[in-house]
Amino acid sequence: MSHPTQSVRIQVEDFSMAVEVDALRASSKRIGGIVSFLGCARDFSEGRDVFSIAFEQYAGMAEKAMFALRDEAMQRFDIIAVRMVHRVTTVHAGDQIVLIVVGAEHRKPAFEACEWLIDTLKQRVPIWKKETTPNGESWVTEHP
Amino acid sequence: MIKVLFFGSIADMLGQRERLLPAGEGMTLADVLKAVACADFKPLLVAVNQTQVNDMHRLVKAGDEVALMPPFSGG
Repeated sequence: MSHPTQSVRIQVEDFSMAVEVDALRASSKRIGGIVSFLGCARDFSEGRDVFSIAFEQYAGMAEKAMFALRDEAMQRFDIIAVRMVHRVTTVHAGDQIVLIVVGAEHRKPAFEACEWLIDTLKQRVPIWKKETTPNGESWVTEHP
Repeated sequence: MIKVLFFGSIADMLGQRERLLPAGEGMTLADVLKAVACADFKPLLVAVNQTQVNDMHRLVKAGDEVALMPPFSGG
């Protein structure tokens, strides 16, 4: 697992959104707007209760894919800095899962980049989730 | 040898997470899939040495790491 100050990382431990936003804000005085996405665990999915969600990653490739996403976002959008953290552990309802923070001179590219990053992360980063429900365990196959 | 890694539902179905295959001359990804009985798995994503690959005719050699993965569901 990666170092806690690395701007793009996968970790077991929980993270602090405030710490990540502060770190991003401190990285450049040109930043005029910061947009964040925080993904959390729900207690209900596909019409059934969810007790817990266990994450699995392809270690190495998953973090590499997140760095590639960050680099691509920096090319595609007029933004200054990105921080991304994804937890890989077992989480329960209300727990934090993933955080994306984007800083730009102006808000529009920050909003666009943040949405693109979370949408594309779901398609390109080799991480899987398995939900424990009243009917047992099942792998989540879709990424809405 | 070629190291084949299985993830998510594929690992559960096969009851294993890793397998070593002897590398053969002219061996392709399609041959690897057949050898580990995953040729009919759909949808299936494949990576060679941690880079996703779509061409199943791609050659593999000793020392390669091949990952067989269901569609991702992170986030």
